[in-house]
Formats: sequence, structure tokens, C-alpha cells
Amino acid sequence: MTTEALGAQAGAVSGDARLLEVEDLHVEFHTHDGIAKAINGVDLHLDEGETLALLGESGSGKSVTAQAIMGILDMPPAKVPKGQIRYRGKDLLTMPVEQRRQVRGPEISIIFQDALSSLNPVFPVGWQIAEMFRVHRGMNRRDALDAAVGLMQRVQIPAARERVRAFPHQFSGGMRQRIMIAMAIALDPAVLIADEPTTALDVTVQAQIMSLLKELQEERGMGLLLITHDLGVVADVADRIAVMYAGQLVETADVHELYRAPAHPYTKGLIASIPRMDMKGKELYAIKGLPPSLLRLPHGCPFHPRCAWAQDVCRSDHPDLREIVPGRRSRCHFAEEVIDD
Amino acid sequence: MTEVILEAKDLKKHYPIRSGVVRRTTGHVKAVDGVSFELRAGETLGIVGESGCGKSTLGRLLMRLEDPTEGSILFDGVDMASAGRSEMRRLRRDIQIVFQDPYTSLNPRKTVGDIIGEPFDIHPDVVPRKGRKRRVQELLEQVGLSPEHINRYPHQFSGGQRQRIGIARGIALNPKVLVCDEPVSALDVSVQAQVINVMERLQDELGLAYVFIAHDLSVVRHISDRVAVMYLGKIAEIGTDAEIYERSTHPYTRALLSAVPVPDPTTRGTREQIPLQGDVPSPANPPSGCRFHTRCWKAKEICSLEEPALIDRPDLGGSHRSACHFAEEVMMTTSRKG
Amino acid sequence: MTSNVSETAHALEAGPEGGDTDAVRTLKGDAWRELRRRPLFWLSAVIIAVLVVMAVFPGLFTNTDPREAFLGRTRESPNSDAWFGRDVQGYDLYARVIYGARASILVGVLASVGTALVGSLLGLVAGYTGGWIDALLSRIAEVFFAIPLLLGAIIALTVMRERVSGYFMIVGMVVAILVVFGWPSIFRLMRASVLQVKPNDYVQAARALGASPLRITMNHILPNALGPVIVVSTINLGVFIAVEAALSFLGIGLQPPTVSWGVMISDARTAIRSSPHVLLFPAGMLSVAVLGFIMLGDSVRDAFDPKSR
Repeated sequence: MTTEALGAQAGAVSGDARLLEVEDLHVEFHTHDGIAKAINGVDLHLDEGETLALLGESGSGKSVTAQAIMGILDMPPAKVPKGQIRYRGKDLLTMPVEQRRQVRGPEISIIFQDALSSLNPVFPVGWQIAEMFRVHRGMNRRDALDAAVGLMQRVQIPAARERVRAFPHQFSGGMRQRIMIAMAIALDPAVLIADEPTTALDVTVQAQIMSLLKELQEERGMGLLLITHDLGVVADVADRIAVMYAGQLVETADVHELYRAPAHPYTKGLIASIPRMDMKGKELYAIKGLPPSLLRLPHGCPFHPRCAWAQDVCRSDHPDLREIVPGRRSRCHFAEEVIDD
Repeated sequence: MTEVILEAKDLKKHYPIRSGVVRRTTGHVKAVDGVSFELRAGETLGIVGESGCGKSTLGRLLMRLEDPTEGSILFDGVDMASAGRSEMRRLRRDIQIVFQDPYTSLNPRKTVGDIIGEPFDIHPDVVPRKGRKRRVQELLEQVGLSPEHINRYPHQFSGGQRQRIGIARGIALNPKVLVCDEPVSALDVSVQAQVINVMERLQDELGLAYVFIAHDLSVVRHISDRVAVMYLGKIAEIGTDAEIYERSTHPYTRALLSAVPVPDPTTRGTREQIPLQGDVPSPANPPSGCRFHTRCWKAKEICSLEEPALIDRPDLGGSHRSACHFAEEVMMTTSRKG
Repeated sequence: MTSNVSETAHALEAGPEGGDTDAVRTLKGDAWRELRRRPLFWLSAVIIAVLVVMAVFPGLFTNTDPREAFLGRTRESPNSDAWFGRDVQGYDLYARVIYGARASILVGVLASVGTALVGSLLGLVAGYTGGWIDALLSRIAEVFFAIPLLLGAIIALTVMRERVSGYFMIVGMVVAILVVFGWPSIFRLMRASVLQVKPNDYVQAARALGASPLRITMNHILPNALGPVIVVSTINLGVFIAVEAALSFLGIGLQPPTVSWGVMISDARTAIRSSPHVLLFPAGMLSVAVLGFIMLGDSVRDAFDPKSR
């Protein structure tokens, strides 16, 4: 079934709902040492054909968000005490299991950072791609394999027909990533989540993979949710950016606006700490301190211990994510000052 | 011009490939295949390249953690590649290493004080026993950590802090050269900046020379005085940072630079894109002639026949050397922004 | 999937500057805390403590002489005079079970320590040096590995039996045989452990500093490679106790008049049908002892393994 047909089916249920919408998501991890609040109220939305970048460092909760959307968190120790994840208006978290399986995979798919551990080492790559067609579309083996070859060619794997029987370890890192992409787009998903897809790759291969993703997105009108910490990659491909820190969104903006004038001290600090040629020899701006422990989040603004603008109100009042200009939101009491600085 | 303290000459490291029941040697992985460069006192030489280029192996060769198959490493008048055991021990005080992975570079069962103090146990004449604890605390302060934490264990520190502990261990013996093997690659962006600042400050304070091996071109650019670009075991181009980043003369360097994403969305669509096709060839079977010719858009017939030497090309002068038959044609005239 | 847990784990650890707690947290300390929480650990600790005391101070448990036989009271069922009853020859079963602990524990502990020492040393050398030394040692280990422990012990003991007499000599011989046939499994374990630890950067860092191979092995490799060996040796203790019992049962280990559980089980063969208690008590003790050590080994392994929490 094509995306349009399924979409029409879902659309018939809920009018013109957004493609993907996350509302007030909370995720906790119950550990021996206490409850780690990995995600504390995240709102996101993604439309067809747009690229939303979820930017953050380790521990910010960006990967956990992706995994929650895909439903691959281990529960326990994870728990989702609150929140909704709506695909075309229907909440994935409360959907019956059978229906969920028809959405996650065919409609929403994901590619991971490490292709080597995401691919099964004992099966040929063609077989693994073909499995998508065999299981979800009921194709027979030969047709599925042909479709797999076609996909491999689409993702620019040279000599696809010969290599369809090769094993994952016989490919280079970049090629394996392409195989993962082939598997992910096999069933024409409407949403593609890319969790740090290029972090483990060389820079030239990274460029190839990102341009392939962009091509595929335009060709199929997919919504792309890009999870990363790389400010350079984001500047190249994203339409909108959501910055995460300590499990919350601290800023959302259109990509040009964000780089031109960040509205949150954390974003500002991140952009300033990238080495630049025109600042050579001078000390790099470094955000002092470390991210907070998710077991013991600070009172007030989670960023205040490291913030250059911190005032008393930051230590006591937790700022809301508020709209400062249309289309831009920031979780900072002094967002306007930060922009102008 | 400051003196040359380290000189690598035609370094090679070939790993034999053994196959078959009798384990015959059927070939060699030429991880490093003829690398030469000079390092001056107090300068930072950045070594960049992608996976398989041999930069990590080069780092291990410089530390004599592996023996070179061929070539020499002249340090302090001695050829490290062939030095004896006791001579190496003496030399090891002057050249030390910082590793990439903050989680495996520190012994999890030793305290931070023991880890940083180990150099003094191995070389007891550097600091008298009574002053060792004080010296370790000084080192902790120098890298920006609290000296009170001397009895803590590595797992109680974050990644960036662990890297600093590794740096403290590296400078404990007051070396002249510090080989840094991807020291910030495993760290978050905000922490990277902290550690880079520490390293630059130490360099100023102690007059250290760095061999900075990395794959992140922006970081290398920031910290290096000179840069060498490696491809498949050889240096493709070497020069000052301005020469490499703004006036590159090797097609690979240009392709590499064009692939680096720039954190500035206004440059979208305006930058030169040189996409490289295919994969890096296997180091066990490098292409004939110029190793890059199979992926090079400027390749002509001579490129597959004759390997270009890494030499000063006419019109370049100075210490900017390039291994390309057509270096002059490739020279970029437009300057590039970071 | 592990990435989200490890990402969160790092975020958990890295608190404010300098670590997440004020107390010094060692790996040993963490492991001990984990151990303390497991009921299985306490159960096995109690069992083993009782057994050890029994072995060292049997007099605390009983006043009866285990060698005093009352032939007239053969196969007596448990009663107030003899709590476990009496065996075929009229010995007090309870007293014999208590005194029998010594032989079993002794053999178990000595054999376990012996195999651990020999196996670890050779495994360390093989893993660290590599090359032909490793190949040689591994092949030798494989030869010994191929010989089943019990079979090898039977053959060796049958040959050696005549030449040795005296309690400690016999015990020593049994222990020696067990070490000779039991060291390969520890050897392999240690060797594999060393091979895992060796490529770590901190070992390379020590080499880069100019540390001698001895220093690297003792200071860096051994402490980090010892974990699995400790766990397996603890479990082996239980196994060796059972092996000793088997050897004694077959008549080639300890023999009467020495008291051991294996000897008691051997003696009980003729009485199984009519008076099962003669067999059940020593067999029960044996099982409890073996179980205790295995449970201890399991708990230690779980406590050391951060992933199983």
C-alpha cells in the first residue's frame, strides 16, 4: 500500500492532522540509583518534505526521543509517564500493538549510527533488504530480491546485482550505511528518522550520505528527523532546528535564524565554541562546567549553573518554552537580550 | 627559525597478510608507506586524513609502540626506530602520547594520583619520592582539575576530565613532544573546546611541540601551525595551515576541504562541491602510480604510471610540498572561510 | 539500543566538576555493595562459613568420636542419641558427617587455589608474550584438557596409590592430581582475559612511558584480568569437592579409616534399600556444600558484571 493510500486512510480519521507530532513527552529511566528523567516535556512536529534537526550533546535526550517515537525503548527500565506521539493524528503510545506494527516500520523508519551492529552479520545484505518486502508486502523471494537490487542501485551501491549476496562485513562503513538507508526506505515511509547517521563516517563519505538522504527525501516527500550533535551538518541540510539540553527543548527556530542570532545561551555557547579560521590562535569560547546529572536536575533553569547570563530568577524559576517572535521559541528568561547580544 | 627536534624519514609500516593452512605471507597491508616530515620545537603539526590513511599507525610508530618496517625517526640525535631498550627509556621522557578514548586510556583500578604518578615510578630520578604527590597535584591544577581529587577513580570523572588526566600523565615528565592521537574526537563539542584550550595553554606554558592527529579539519586548523594531509599511507600535501586550507595544491585536499560541513547555512549552494566517488582503495592493494588517481577528477595518464614525489613544486616555495603531477593547476586562488 | 542506556549512563555519572559523589567510589566498593544486596550471596556465605568452622573445629559441633563403632546398633534410624542415626558399621553418622567436612573442604580449597595459581601464571605468560610460547603452552593445555578430569585422576591415583600413605600425603596427592588435570580451564580463562585487556590504551600508555613488561603485567594487566578467574575458581571449589567425593567413592581417593563424605557414600552402597538415611545425610551435606560454592561464585559474577544490574 502506498503512503498516499495509507495516509488517506489515516487522514480520513483525523482531518488534516500533521504528519508527526510529539506532545509533552516525558520519559524516565528507573535505575538502582534513582529515577533519571531523560525527557522532560518535549513538543515537536514534522511535516512532509521538511527536515527537522534535533540538536544536542550526549545526555541531552535526543536519541531517547527518536527511540520513543520508534517504540524501541526497553520498558523497563524506561517508562513514558506522560505525553503523546501522534502519527497523522493517531497516538502511537496508546495504539493497539497490531496497528503499531503497521505504522512503525512501513510508515516511520529509522537508521542508526553504527551500521555494522544494525545489520545482521550472518545474512546477506540483499536478503535483509528483501525481508522488508517479504514480511510487509507478502512478495515472493524472487520479486523481493529484485526489489532489493533496485533499492541498492538507488542508493548508489556499485555492482548491486553481484553484491546482493555479500555480507555486511564485506562492505565499507559508507556502503553499509547506504544498505541501512535502503532498508529504511524500502517500504516508502512517510517519516525517516536518522539517528546520528554520519557520526561514525569519514567526512567525504558523510557528504555523500547526507546528499543521498536529501535526494531521497525530495524524491519521496518524506519528513526527515535528523538527530545529531554536528552543527555543520545541521547548517547544510536542516529546515528547522530544535535544540535539546537535559531532556528538554531549549530553543526552536528556522535554521537561518538560529545561526544568525541564537536565542538561548546554550545554543549561543555551542555555536561560539566551534573552531573558526578567523579566530585562530585565540582561545576558543568554552561553555564552562558539565551537563547536569539526569538523576538530580538543578532547580530553576537546567542550564543556569553554566550560563553566562544567569541571574537570581534563573536559579529559582524554571523558564517555559515561550514564543519570542513568531516561529521562534526559547526557554530562557532573557531570550530577547541573548538575541541582541 | 626554530630547530628541528623530530624528523621522520621515509617511514614505512607493512603488516603481512597470512593466509592458507601454512600461513604463507600473501601480501602486505601498507598502512604507512613512506612518510617523511619535520617537527620544530614548540610548533603544532596537524596530521589529517580519513580512515585507512595510516595516521594512527604513524602515531604509534612515532612512539615506538610498534616497530617500523623501514625508515628512521631522528629525535635528539638518535634514530628512535633502531634504538636499544635503555636508550628508548631515556628518550621516552621527551616524547609522550595522549590517546583518543577517554574510557580505555586510564586503568580503571588505579586512582588518578597513581595514574599521573606512574611516570615518576618508572623514571624515579625525575622527581624525588617526597615531592611526587605535590607534583601530581600541580599537574592536576595545570590541566584544570581539582588537586583534591587525587584519590578518585577514573569512572568518577566525565569524558573531558579523563582526557585531561591523560594529558597530565603525558606532560608529567616534561616532554618536548606530545603525540596526540585524536584527543578530542570522542568528546562533545562543548567539552572539546575546553580540552583544546587546555592543550593550547599548556603548549604556551611548557614550550611543547604537538603532533596532532585528527580527522576533524576545523579543530586541526585551529590548533596547528603546519598540516600534513595523508592518503593511503602517504602524505599527499604538507604546508602551513594557511597554505593547506586556502591555497591547497592537491586534489584530495581540495575534495576533503569541500566535504567539511560549514556551520553557516548562508553558504548553502555557494561552496565548491567535489564529491568523491566510491570507496578508499584497500591499503593491501594500493593503486599504481599516484594512489589517488582512481578517484581524482584531474587524473591523466601519467597519474597511473608514475608516483608523484612529495616535493616543493615550482611556484610554491617554502615548505609547502605536494605530491601531485599537476599541483600548479590545482592551486586555488580563492581564499576560504573557516 | 544500548546507545540510549549508555548515553544516559554517562549523563548520570558526570555530575558537577570532579565526579558525582563526594565519597571515593572504587570498583571493589561498588561490587561489594552489589554483593551485599543479593540474598543468594548471604545464603551461600552462611553455608560456607558454617562448613569452614566445621572443618577447622569439628569439636564445636559434636562430642562424639567418629571412629567409635557400635556394631550392635548397625543401621540405626535417627534418634536422640545419634541425630542422624548410624551407618552399617555402627558409626555415628552425624559425627562422621561433621568430621568428614575437613577432608572435603581441604581438598576443595587446596585444589582450587592450586589450579588458580598454576593456570593464572601460565595464562598470563601465554597471553602477554604471544608467539611461540603462547602456542606451546596452549597446545600443552589442550592435551591436558582433552583428558577427562575423573578418568585422568582415576588412572593417576591407581598408579600412585601404593607409594603414598598418611593422611596429609594422600590429601596432597589428590590435590596434586586435581591441579594437574584442572589447570587448563583456568589457563584458558586467564589467557582470554589477558588478550582482552592487553589492547586497551592504558596498557599502551604504560608501554609508552617505558614501563617494564613485569610492571605492565603485574600493575595493569593482572588486576583487570583477574575477575573471571576469581569467579570460576570459586565455582570450581564446589566442583572439586564433588570430584573428591567421587574419587573416594571409587576407592582411590581417601579411604577408611579416613573420614570423608565420599567414603561415607561409598560405605552406604550396601544399605541404600533398607536404610536410606545412611546415604542421604552425607549426600545431602555434599550437595549443600557444592551448592554453596556455586551460589557464591554466581553472586560474585553477577556483582562484578555491570550489565547484569
